[in-house]
Amino acid sequence: MIPDRGVEDLLRELAPQVLGALVRRYGQFDTCEDATQEALLRAAMRWPSEGIPDNPRGWLVTVASHRLLDEVRSHQSRRRRENAIVAATPQSELLGRPADADPGADRDDSLTLLFLCCHPALSPPSQIALTLRAVGGLTTAQIAAAFLVPEATMAQRISRAKQSIRTSGTTFTMPEGPERAERLRAVLHVLYLLFNEGYTASTGPDLTAPQLSDEAIRLTTWLRRLLPEDAEVAGLLALMLLTEARRPARTTPDGALVPLAEQDRNTWDRTLIGNGVALVTEALARGPVGPYQVQAAIAAVHDEAEHMDATDWPQILALYELLEQLAPSPMVTLNRAVAVAMVHGPSAGLVLLAALESDNRMVRHHRLLATRAHLLELAGERTAAAADYREAARRATSLPERRHLTTCAARLAS
Amino acid sequence: MKYMLLIYGNQEKWSSIPAETWPEAIAKQDAFNKKYQGTGELLGAYGLADAAAARLVRRTDGTPAVTDGPYLETKEYLASFYLLDCENEQRAYEIAADMPWADVEPVEVWPVLHEAAADL
Repeated sequence: MIPDRGVEDLLRELAPQVLGALVRRYGQFDTCEDATQEALLRAAMRWPSEGIPDNPRGWLVTVASHRLLDEVRSHQSRRRRENAIVAATPQSELLGRPADADPGADRDDSLTLLFLCCHPALSPPSQIALTLRAVGGLTTAQIAAAFLVPEATMAQRISRAKQSIRTSGTTFTMPEGPERAERLRAVLHVLYLLFNEGYTASTGPDLTAPQLSDEAIRLTTWLRRLLPEDAEVAGLLALMLLTEARRPARTTPDGALVPLAEQDRNTWDRTLIGNGVALVTEALARGPVGPYQVQAAIAAVHDEAEHMDATDWPQILALYELLEQLAPSPMVTLNRAVAVAMVHGPSAGLVLLAALESDNRMVRHHRLLATRAHLLELAGERTAAAADYREAARRATSLPERRHLTTCAARLAS
Repeated sequence: MKYMLLIYGNQEKWSSIPAETWPEAIAKQDAFNKKYQGTGELLGAYGLADAAAARLVRRTDGTPAVTDGPYLETKEYLASFYLLDCENEQRAYEIAADMPWADVEPVEVWPVLHEAAADL
């Protein structure tokens, strides 16, 4: 069956609204989630041939509620719960939604749902899987295909995640105050990881697997509509667009990586760059400034340089210094070392790297060795650079990176 | 990230284990497998047949040529393997250390190469 894009897009848009409405009314996130998936599946099978109903959201809520009712009926404490559900269901909701219904309720439910999926009791892989299913409306099979794991494994991961949420005793309410800010950070991190997963993975053999970076951009665009005032949400979206813009140039047709310095900048997507630059400019003006906005600003400086030599390295260095204050990490220091090398010369960059070599998290990391190799090469120390490239290749667990590093080592040795 | 866990051994070592302790050992291993299938981190767990059943295969003139071997009587050889998909290296080590035999025999942990690559 060829999936109908129109129907599929509509269903994925409605998925969090339907689930949100169900959980709001009945509680029991895990059971509601299953019921919503079944309603989505049924719609995906019927709507393309029978046409989209006048009130698609109402149709889905009705079908999912009936499914939930069936589920509850088969349960032991049947009568009590059944009565509770019937009593809790306004007849109007089963029939559809009035045209003047408050759209704010859907907005709040969808947000609450997203925050619930990024619950701190879950590991990042579980948060991602659950977000894709409950908020993104993807099936377990699609998520499994995207992550190259068996469907049974992904089903287990999702069911375990739902179980953890149930046992944590969390209610379907929006966290408040500092907890809300903390959870929003977790949500942004999940979307960021999702984007990276999709951006860095080359297309697998399964062409029906969803493109995770597209999905991350879709969900972040949606989140920005829900939280238009938040500068970091805008910053993250800008970062995604500005990174995605370079996708056509980052690999050769046979899958080899092309470093930023050697990319054909004519193939960068100017529309995405324009949108990303506008977003991050507006976000930085509004503030408060945060790590995603700064990373987006760095990406924007790269994207706006017509060729490598035109790159405004002093500005990139200043931005990395700011980023290191906002969100210090060895990876940021590593990137700052490259910027230092471009502004003040390779030996200044190497001095900064030497400080990282005593960091336990970094000393065996291939990225540190690869960066040092690059700076040594700039300094003209070809033999030492080749040795570091070789060692970095040995430590890399990514096949394309390993190939690239091996090529660099071979180029210097010849 | 995916990781391969490998367990080695040989017939001599296994023969020295009292037969009556095997059911318990197997039950422990089953419990380990169930536990990590349950978390959605164990993709597969496979025990290998005895080395006597292993064969070497080459292609000769386009057809498979199968011979006995490998001959590994003196050394330890691969006994079973496990494929994990978990959050990071630390988690893989944690799971490996939870293997029933890990207190007496080391478990090899190998990262599996993946296709993802960060920007350069």
